[in-house]
Amino acid sequence: MDILSSFYSGLLVVLEPHNLMYCFIGVFVGTFIGVLPGIGSMAAIAMILPLTFYLEPTSALVMIAGVYYGAEYGGSIASILMNIPGTPAASITAIEGYPMAKKGRAGVALFSTATASFGGGMIGMIVMAALSPSLAKLALSFGPADYFAVILLGLIAASAVSNGGALKGITMVVAGLMLGTIGIDLTTGDLRYTMGIPELRDGVHIVIVAMGLFGVSEVIASIRTNKGGSIAQKIDYNHFYPTREEWKSLFAPIMRGGAIGSVFGALPGTGQTIAAAIAYAVEKRVNRAKNLFGTGVVPGVAVPEAANNSATQTAFIPTLTLGVPGSPPMAIVIGALMIYGITPGPRLLTEEPDLFWGLVASFLVGNVMLIILNIPLIGIWVRLLQIPYKYMYPTIIVLICIGVYSLNNNVFDIWLTLIIGAVGYWMKLYKFEPAPLLLGFVLGPLMEEQLRRAMLLSRGDPMVFLERPISATLIAITVAVLIYAFYAAIRAKKITASTSSEVQQEGPNT
Amino acid sequence: MSTEPSNLQGQPAPPKGSSRAQSWGGEIGAVALFALSLIFIFGGLKLGLGSFFRLGTGAFPFISGSILAVLAIFVGLHEWRSKGLSHPPDWISFLAIVAAIAIFASTADRLGLVPAVFMSVIIASFPDRSLSLMGKAILGAIVSAACWVLFIRLLNLPFKAFVGM
Repeated sequence: MDILSSFYSGLLVVLEPHNLMYCFIGVFVGTFIGVLPGIGSMAAIAMILPLTFYLEPTSALVMIAGVYYGAEYGGSIASILMNIPGTPAASITAIEGYPMAKKGRAGVALFSTATASFGGGMIGMIVMAALSPSLAKLALSFGPADYFAVILLGLIAASAVSNGGALKGITMVVAGLMLGTIGIDLTTGDLRYTMGIPELRDGVHIVIVAMGLFGVSEVIASIRTNKGGSIAQKIDYNHFYPTREEWKSLFAPIMRGGAIGSVFGALPGTGQTIAAAIAYAVEKRVNRAKNLFGTGVVPGVAVPEAANNSATQTAFIPTLTLGVPGSPPMAIVIGALMIYGITPGPRLLTEEPDLFWGLVASFLVGNVMLIILNIPLIGIWVRLLQIPYKYMYPTIIVLICIGVYSLNNNVFDIWLTLIIGAVGYWMKLYKFEPAPLLLGFVLGPLMEEQLRRAMLLSRGDPMVFLERPISATLIAITVAVLIYAFYAAIRAKKITASTSSEVQQEGPNT
Repeated sequence: MSTEPSNLQGQPAPPKGSSRAQSWGGEIGAVALFALSLIFIFGGLKLGLGSFFRLGTGAFPFISGSILAVLAIFVGLHEWRSKGLSHPPDWISFLAIVAAIAIFASTADRLGLVPAVFMSVIIASFPDRSLSLMGKAILGAIVSAACWVLFIRLLNLPFKAFVGM
């Protein structure tokens, strides 16, 4: 089956009324949660996940994807109107979007981001449809040692670029790996670290980890910093459409942003924030209006949005073809698929074609919905932003509790979420990124399985990782990433030290 | 300190000076991570490491525990030298949210969904002083009614609205 006919069959799957409905619910709920300042796409996906367990896998995945890109788009709305980015990637959109809103052009900024999101999403979708089958074919030749090396690279790359620094990032990955070993060992059937608690036999549920680390701790941290209710500028509903010149200036940035985003989204460990930041930096150099960047220009608001959305789509490529998530939300997607008994990997395309191509086609349908939803509904999102946060956060906490409780109808899960949430708040205070921990938690069991298989097949020879060309190359890249990350950290420290000593020297004179 | 900007309904932000005194949290965290790594190392040894050919149940936790032990030492040194507190902690919000979740966990089974939601909304909204107790109760009533409609009536989730009714 060639790509086009596969895509067509996927489109038929998504256009089934129930899938269409779940796609709509996903996009709507995602935008709704994403608009809330301080609550990002991770919390949004974690909150919707328990509800998807009642659906069939394709509908569930379509809905989760809808929540994901809906939340990313919703984050941009909050960042343009209030300069409070709902997601880290949206902070790049705020650089141009908020000045536009202050100039009274919020409507145009929102329209441009919707258009750019759509354009970027389409580019990401085309890249995913074109590349996934060949990557899956290549991945069929991967042995356990190669898989182990891919996972290792993914984990190290994701943690090395985390905000708190490489050392803390890697520490969190390893802590996640350990958390993932709790429960029954699938190979031997032995219980590990359950401390005699029967609820821990099946391990810690991914929703609990995600809700604790991203939901509870984000809410605690945002109570004092978030007021809600003050919008930079009232939206003028008659001025949504960009001028003719602005229309013309939109096309090239969307293409560039989409292309950059699709590359970085597909690389393990990078994700949308880096994609949006790099796309904006590139655009600032190549755009004809580069001197106006920073004052609120349409290409500047479009380019990170296009990159962000295309990266959101291409992050599914390594997730579904290799089973290695490129970003933390994708780790939740993998966790969700495993709950359905579906192992993401190269065989997914041939064994579950409806699921894979249905998801690809849902990007088209979902992005159309995003546009349809956001032009007329922008008034609702604005009003939602005006609701004081004091009414919102107790509701979010209750929804987290209900979501966790509904997993097994068990209050133990709520207590566990409470403990993980408290640890998550401490991590937030001391700049320990939660995302690498979640990646380690999801990938730990896969990594252990591949390690055991690789050692078994090589008859106990650890050199197998360096003898196979694929794993040797991947491990070499991993080592290079590690060396670079520590080199960059040491250099950054030296620069900070020299600037602070300069400031101290200048201090008495000023 | 009195010139600190207020950030919510007239409540002053925690003074910056206090972050210095509380910034041992980074080192305490590193010690906790080190202790955790020891649990996994000794647990791994007890579970059995197996051989290179056939890795035992305890091998992977043992390896990751050992790596974490080394990393925790570096993290401790790093925290000791840099005092890496990123924001001043907000203990009132922290305690209110912890108490709200704890109340939900201890009442959901015994009293039912509606009372659990009602009480945890009131407790969670404690850090906000602009809302009167009556306002908090009204918010709790609205949210618990909405949860009842959404989760029990519409989604049919297997919760009891009130236990014993």
